[in-house]
Amino acid sequence: MTEKTILVADDESHILHVVSLKLRNAGFRVLTARDGQEALEMAQQAHPDLLITDYHMPQLSGLELCQRLKQDTQTSNIPAIMLTARGYHLEPHDTEQSGILRMLSKPFSPRHLLSTVNEVLEGKAA
Amino acid sequence: MQIENRKSKIENKMSMSLQNPVAEKVVAAVIPAAVLDNLAARFRPGGLCLLMLNCDGSLAYSDSAAGLFFQRFAIPMIQYPDPSAGLAERVAAMNPQSAVEVWSAMPGVVLAAFPYVEKRQLCGVMLLAAKGNSFRLGEEVLRVCSRLGLDGIWLNQQAEELPVYGDEAIQRQARLLLGMIRDQVRLAGLECELDSLSGQLANTYEELSLIYQLSSGMKINRRAVDFFKQACLDVMDVMGVRGMGVALQNASDQIEPVMYGSMSLPPGKVHRLADELLTVLTGRKSPLLVNNLPADKTFAWLGDYAKQLIAVPLQRQDQVLGCLFGIDKHVGEFDSVDSKLLNSIGNESAIYLENVKLFEDVHGLMMGLLHSLTSAVDAKDAYTCGHSERVALLSRHLAREIKLCEHDIERIYMAGLLHDVGKIGVPEAVLQKTGKLTPEEFEQMKKHPEIGARILSDIRQVKDIIPGVMHHHERYDGKGYPSGLAGENIPLMGRIICLADCFDAMTSNRTYRKALPLEVALTEIRRCSGTQFDPRLAEAFLGAGGEQFRELLRDYEQQTRRLSDLQQSLRPAAA
Repeated sequence: MTEKTILVADDESHILHVVSLKLRNAGFRVLTARDGQEALEMAQQAHPDLLITDYHMPQLSGLELCQRLKQDTQTSNIPAIMLTARGYHLEPHDTEQSGILRMLSKPFSPRHLLSTVNEVLEGKAA
Repeated sequence: MQIENRKSKIENKMSMSLQNPVAEKVVAAVIPAAVLDNLAARFRPGGLCLLMLNCDGSLAYSDSAAGLFFQRFAIPMIQYPDPSAGLAERVAAMNPQSAVEVWSAMPGVVLAAFPYVEKRQLCGVMLLAAKGNSFRLGEEVLRVCSRLGLDGIWLNQQAEELPVYGDEAIQRQARLLLGMIRDQVRLAGLECELDSLSGQLANTYEELSLIYQLSSGMKINRRAVDFFKQACLDVMDVMGVRGMGVALQNASDQIEPVMYGSMSLPPGKVHRLADELLTVLTGRKSPLLVNNLPADKTFAWLGDYAKQLIAVPLQRQDQVLGCLFGIDKHVGEFDSVDSKLLNSIGNESAIYLENVKLFEDVHGLMMGLLHSLTSAVDAKDAYTCGHSERVALLSRHLAREIKLCEHDIERIYMAGLLHDVGKIGVPEAVLQKTGKLTPEEFEQMKKHPEIGARILSDIRQVKDIIPGVMHHHERYDGKGYPSGLAGENIPLMGRIICLADCFDAMTSNRTYRKALPLEVALTEIRRCSGTQFDPRLAEAFLGAGGEQFRELLRDYEQQTRRLSDLQQSLRPAAA
């Protein structure tokens, strides 16, 4: 199996560290971005197998990021997992316009995130 | 042509001579090869070659991309040194405090060396090699060439383009390298620390999300046994254990000790474990970790079933209310991370447990008081004995029929219980009068919903049921009292109690008449649907079958009869 690449976008560096450590230890290649704009550019260049993004980010929100990726045929097939503040819910109609397959509310369990990542990559979440 | 031939011949010979075991070894010291490759690349353009020796002088690393002068000549010479060069002695003389030294005893090559130190221990020797100013095709170099199977002229060609380093120049480069290594090592250390912190943070996240999950399951009206089951399953998942269990002090009035998971312990053993854990934890009041059960004094018997045990007390102030315990980790042993996690869960659970107990106490006290209050009301009128309780039961049943939520159903039960509480303010002469009431007496009677509402208005916990008490004599057509509300303007609670109240009044004996047969009562309800009663409720009531309500009441009556029989039989004994 080739090494899968996961792009993680969050403006909170501790989330980036925890998530990328967990994913690296699980054998993934991890790219990190600190805001939506940076994530968009990295996704367009690197074509990751999966995007994990925070909802609240400067420049470009996680939702806008996912919608922009969906609109571009080059990146429209990148699945996404969205991290949100607890109690925050997205409208189903919003997620339809994006590649968002799963949502996790913070504080999330890193182990749970990892199993969600595996499910999404194995296509179980589609 | 001739030269080229010779060259290829030499290279053949070379590659043969290099079939020797060349250093592909991983560095014994702790610098990762990738870091060394990076550093080597920085010095390569300056005609320098990076090497590292182990403390015994063997080659730990050499720049594999270095030019042929180094690959064929300098590195092999260092790897298999001539004893006369004294390389082994120089390495042996190195100590962690050694400064950068220049070694120029090797023909044609100058070396700068310094110790690589980690945790104040000598871990190896770093070397920078360059063409020395002594390089010429003299006797010494040729001797090395023949030893290594090299052609001197070819070597001379390789060496030609390399810059010459004097002692001072190479020493300067070595100091530069030393600084870079220190930076790299510090960076690697920081990265390592960052990973360790991130790892700890991940554990904290795990703990936090688990506690979050548990707190959201801490509904006061949820059964404690369900809460603990969920807690055990969640912890089992996060901590990776074979079994999780809970044991509470005074199990009789709470829940039995119980265990979940793939670990099966006979029920008797679960009780024994629970008793022993409670005893031990009541004494120590801190987490218990046993990673080798068969060798443990207290829990050796458990060694037949498991290897490891972890347990934390559920305590409030100084009181141990119970304990949570886990058995056998899937991987590794129980450690402080596990005990910290389980302790947090234990603390949360203890708070929950205490809250449930307080809630039950307060709730029990309040319900007791309310029942006493309604009994006092019913006692004023012997013929309406048990009426409040029956109306409460009927209202609850009707509320269930129309699919209200569990909370509303319970509030309606309470409203039914208290609907006639205002009769306390109505003279007994009026309440107990057997004949027809005079208009003045009827006016007094009609005040009881308002009096009831006023009595209850001072009790914060029952404010929400006041509409049910206030409006249980309203009629759907607006001709009722006290407010003359109509249709949906009458609070639902009032409409439900009204129906239950009338049904019970019709089907029980009254001062002025005997109980009506069930069929008559049901016909009456159908007849008054839309005038006195909310048609939707009447329909639900009739649809549910009056029989169901009769049964409900019969059960209740049997219970109360049994209770009063019991009281009767006890009385003579007491006297």
